[in-house]
Amino acid sequence: MVGLSVGEKHFIQGGIAQDLRTDGRKRLTYRPIFVETGVIAQANGSARVKFGGTEVIASVKAELGRPSSSAPDKGKVSIFVDCSPTAAPQFEGRGGEELSMELSAALRQCLLGGKSGAGAGINLSSLSIVDGKVCWDLYIDGLVISMDGNVLDALGAAIKAALSNTGIPKVNIASASTPDEQPEVDVSDEEFLQFDTTALPVIVTLTKVGRHYIVDATSEEESQMSSAVSISVNRQGLICGLTKRGGAGLDPSVILDMISVAKHVSEQLMNKLDSEIAAAEAAMEEDS
Amino acid sequence: MAAKAGAAPATYSPSPTANKKNRPPIFTDIDWIRPDGRDFHQCRPAFLRTGAVNAASGSAYAEFGNTKVIVSIFGPRESKKAMMYSDIGRLNCNVSYTTFSTPVRGQALDNKDISSQLHKSLEGAIMLDTFPKTTVDVFALVLESGGCDLPVVISCASLALADAGIMMYDLVAAVSVSCLGKNLVIDPVSEEENYQDGSLMITCLPSRNEVTQLTITGEWSTPKIHEAMELCLDACSKLGKIMRSCLKESASTSQE
Repeated sequence: MVGLSVGEKHFIQGGIAQDLRTDGRKRLTYRPIFVETGVIAQANGSARVKFGGTEVIASVKAELGRPSSSAPDKGKVSIFVDCSPTAAPQFEGRGGEELSMELSAALRQCLLGGKSGAGAGINLSSLSIVDGKVCWDLYIDGLVISMDGNVLDALGAAIKAALSNTGIPKVNIASASTPDEQPEVDVSDEEFLQFDTTALPVIVTLTKVGRHYIVDATSEEESQMSSAVSISVNRQGLICGLTKRGGAGLDPSVILDMISVAKHVSEQLMNKLDSEIAAAEAAMEEDS
Repeated sequence: MAAKAGAAPATYSPSPTANKKNRPPIFTDIDWIRPDGRDFHQCRPAFLRTGAVNAASGSAYAEFGNTKVIVSIFGPRESKKAMMYSDIGRLNCNVSYTTFSTPVRGQALDNKDISSQLHKSLEGAIMLDTFPKTTVDVFALVLESGGCDLPVVISCASLALADAGIMMYDLVAAVSVSCLGKNLVIDPVSEEENYQDGSLMITCLPSRNEVTQLTITGEWSTPKIHEAMELCLDACSKLGKIMRSCLKESASTSQE
């Protein structure tokens, strides 16, 4: 909760109406983005992402598992987000549960595509090892360390960076196995396969304050919002998911306008993120 | 309920002729026959009744094909002591599935996620400032899950809220479409939902033409979103009319 005086509220709203926000940004400008990869040694891939005062960590762990009977040729991905009490005191105990659940659901919706698996950012078929027997279970965990608005976009970016950083161990399958038996697999600890992240979308949240919408809102600005629409857009400019938060209703034409703005903004964000991720990967290799 | 059983069930479908489309639909190839033989843009017949539960302040029962839902409203009543003071009312939503609602026992979807979606769709329509310091409980039970559960729960809940006399800006109508290959099918059944490439759900206030919630999954191009939204909004306004007539009917029978 942000405690603001009436004057401060007017200042924020007035600034947004005049395209000059309290920190000097324009409505569609992001805060400085910082990406660091390989921050967790035990994980297959990890990244730390900062959007101004918002800081999140994402880790990717791959474990061998059995594919579900309904989709024998696919691996499984589970996404969970944890809101640490270090980010805000109200997350203590079960307080962060509601936000965690909302964020995980939104990320799942944006990254995993439809039921048939079409349009998914993560290709589940690439996680299959032996059809119906062995597959990779990918556990993607997000952690909110410090919160200053726009957490969902930051988590989306962190997961993208973590997956770019992910190496899935190469698996050799022992050939002599009868069809009924569980095949023996040998997981290599030297050879890793790079995870393909070209299809991963970025998430752009447009926060509506007054009659205008802004990207990358701080928590002060979020406290003044009437509604927010999170749109995930992939490299082809296709919409991969959309959710709305906040009580106030929107006119259908406004939503369509927001979608076209988000498509425009996502291009810049995608390029910015890609160059940041590449720089972070290069910096990590230099260290090692 | 039994007293009103004689009334003809209200059905609706955004008939193809009424679709005032000024541009031709993008997807014309038909390579799919729907399991229940409907047209792609034809909704299931809707059966709606208010006053299903006596103990509740308001309640409604909805049946869309095989999807059967019952919603009870309790309150406004005093918020729990642990809650902080609030000058606007609180809305507490809970959706649960019966164990026999799905083909495989106890294989229902995540209740918490659906409950929070129900909350998000309704909060924009209710005048929360009319009942400060109190809570309205919305309890939904899915008796049978036959596809499109969430939209049916939302529409049924708004009808129950109206039955309970909770002040709202408008009724909330919800409709979803599934994308199967090139085709957009409205009001999908479970089988279609299991094979869908993407889905789009709109909840809106039909007379204000305001969208309270929109969720999209899967990969969509902008023209496809346009077409799906148009289709949903058209269906929502028709569903809204049926909900309205259901309320009028129950009001006139109670006067007699």
